[in-house]
Amino acid sequence: MSADATATRGLTGWLDPRRYGIRHQVGAVGLVLLAFAPYLVPTVWVRNLTIALFFAMFAMSWDVVSGYTGQISFGHAFFFAIGGYSSALLNLELGLPPVVTVPIAVVVTVVAGLLVGVPALRLRGPYFSLVTLVAPTILLNVFILFSGTFGGELGLDSPAPILSFDDLVVTLVANYYLAFALFVGILAVLLAVTRSDAGAVFTAIREDEDAVAASGLNPAKFKVFAFALSAAVGGLAGAVFVHTPVGNPNPSQLLALTVSIEVIIAAILGGMGTIVGAAVAGIFLRLFQLYLGTVEYVVPVLDTAVADVDLLLFSLVTLVLLFALPGGIVRWAVHGGGTALDNIRGRDAATDGGRDPPDRDVLDAVQERWREDVADLQARVGGGRR
Amino acid sequence: MVDVATLAVNSVIISALYALVAIGFTLIFGVGGVLNLSHGATITLGAFAAYYASGGIVEAGVGGAVLAAIVVPALFSAVVYKGLIERIQDQPIMVMILTLVVAIAVEQVFLVAEGTQPKSIPSLLDGTVALGGSKFQTNLLVVFALSWLIIAALFYTINNTETGKAILATSMTTKGAALVGIESDRVNLYTWVVAGALAGVAGLFLGSFQTANFAMGRGPLMLSFAIVVIGGIGSVKGSLVGAYVIGTAEVLTGAVSTRLTGLVPLLLLILVLLVKPEGLFGRELAE
Repeated sequence: MSADATATRGLTGWLDPRRYGIRHQVGAVGLVLLAFAPYLVPTVWVRNLTIALFFAMFAMSWDVVSGYTGQISFGHAFFFAIGGYSSALLNLELGLPPVVTVPIAVVVTVVAGLLVGVPALRLRGPYFSLVTLVAPTILLNVFILFSGTFGGELGLDSPAPILSFDDLVVTLVANYYLAFALFVGILAVLLAVTRSDAGAVFTAIREDEDAVAASGLNPAKFKVFAFALSAAVGGLAGAVFVHTPVGNPNPSQLLALTVSIEVIIAAILGGMGTIVGAAVAGIFLRLFQLYLGTVEYVVPVLDTAVADVDLLLFSLVTLVLLFALPGGIVRWAVHGGGTALDNIRGRDAATDGGRDPPDRDVLDAVQERWREDVADLQARVGGGRR
Repeated sequence: MVDVATLAVNSVIISALYALVAIGFTLIFGVGGVLNLSHGATITLGAFAAYYASGGIVEAGVGGAVLAAIVVPALFSAVVYKGLIERIQDQPIMVMILTLVVAIAVEQVFLVAEGTQPKSIPSLLDGTVALGGSKFQTNLLVVFALSWLIIAALFYTINNTETGKAILATSMTTKGAALVGIESDRVNLYTWVVAGALAGVAGLFLGSFQTANFAMGRGPLMLSFAIVVIGGIGSVKGSLVGAYVIGTAEVLTGAVSTRLTGLVPLLLLILVLLVKPEGLFGRELAE
């Protein structure tokens, strides 16, 4: 298992300037800890960690398109649901094994992503946000409309497991390692892509799309590529998720608005456009939420147990976090608590003089463009009275 | 069973209510340039405020319910704006995320406090009225009349009062409004309060002929998206037209199959965005 960590360290060492060595060592330690986690935590937390790893994959899939190109998607659950449902349906209806259904589900998700993404990526700021907000809702409506096929609000039965053993604990641990392997694989691929020349173009699109176009590159092509990659990763994570004991093909786990928004919050708190930030914050955010669900403490005044109001508490805590430390919590935690954050876009110094804008600027750049889009809309649409 | 007159009357009535739902959402976007995703939750809040005032906690009758449905959401909206949004109003993405989290929190409060059981809100007026050869609930007609009364009052205010003109000016050009001495923060606050009150009333109306439950605001929020996109984002007059397009489309679909009604507004939204992304109307608020 530590081979994973060494490999990753080697990979990142190869990708990144040496001055960030310490962070990578911290990151490697984090991976080693994850690799041995089942031996370090109680069984119930193995289950929770598995859920958290899948959630981190969801968050990474969001970050690669929205955190890098600045096209903020408010409906990424669309991808997770299409991946999960496709794989589950193929397995349940046709009896195909997960080994076959998962790859097909990834292809289906990419196709669906392109069908939505190609027209949607032409739209500007607020309109893109609205379309992405509406896409999962439309899908949910379709699921309810054809509930005979899709199981409506309740979702589908559990499809065949990928890994299943007689012993429950063994099954849980095996599935944890399945999630961990997938997590490491996705992390490595996304790091490689975002630290390549393509990643530099994504970032350039976020900063100044016109400049990218002026330099002879087609921003639309890169945006569609980022979108397809993101759909593939989201669909893959969703597809594998439903074949594990922790995930089921139902709207509340894959398609709810809360899923989309928590993914965004994780990526923003971890630092947009970093991939690793989304992964780290995704794991911690999910674990925190799952922890709240286990707290039996009864709040005196309200006379309700914390576990009953976990989602309410979670949303209030997120509100405070976002408000107090927008784009900075993980960095803040790095200084305060030594959490692993590898917050670097390891490009050659030549691309942008080696500067890495802090996370705040990433969000600012995106929002700046959103505001320009709105002003532009006002001007374009404003053929009204003088 | 389904005759044209009934469909027409139903379309006209439900569309007026939809206009009420969408105008506040449009106003906030027009003036502040941000999308308020807690708009649906404010509608829910209005419905529950009416429920609590009409027997849920105190017995204040229909008048009390109406008052509560206006005041509570308006105050809530003001608090959300002052407490959360004002500091980050130049960050539209953060505003979307925070208002969405606020919406989730509001839903959770009502879910924890009231469970999933729908609550009934008393009708504004009981009884039925014969109209166009078929019977309608008096309540529906009252909702229609009041909706239009409120919309008319809003248009009058925007065009003829100092504050209204400030709102109109800011929605046209924030910079220009600032140059002539309009304080955008105050105008924003007024807009949020007005939007909150409108959403609250819409919540009372919706609840009076359906029921109130914790998730009742989700549909209206999606409707608002569709309506503002069809009408042109930021145009109040466009919202009115958009509401009539959506409301009529929904009633007509409902006549064919009630299971399709939820999908229609969303599909119309996608269609308009693909064909005519700037919407059907300019940004002028009113003639």
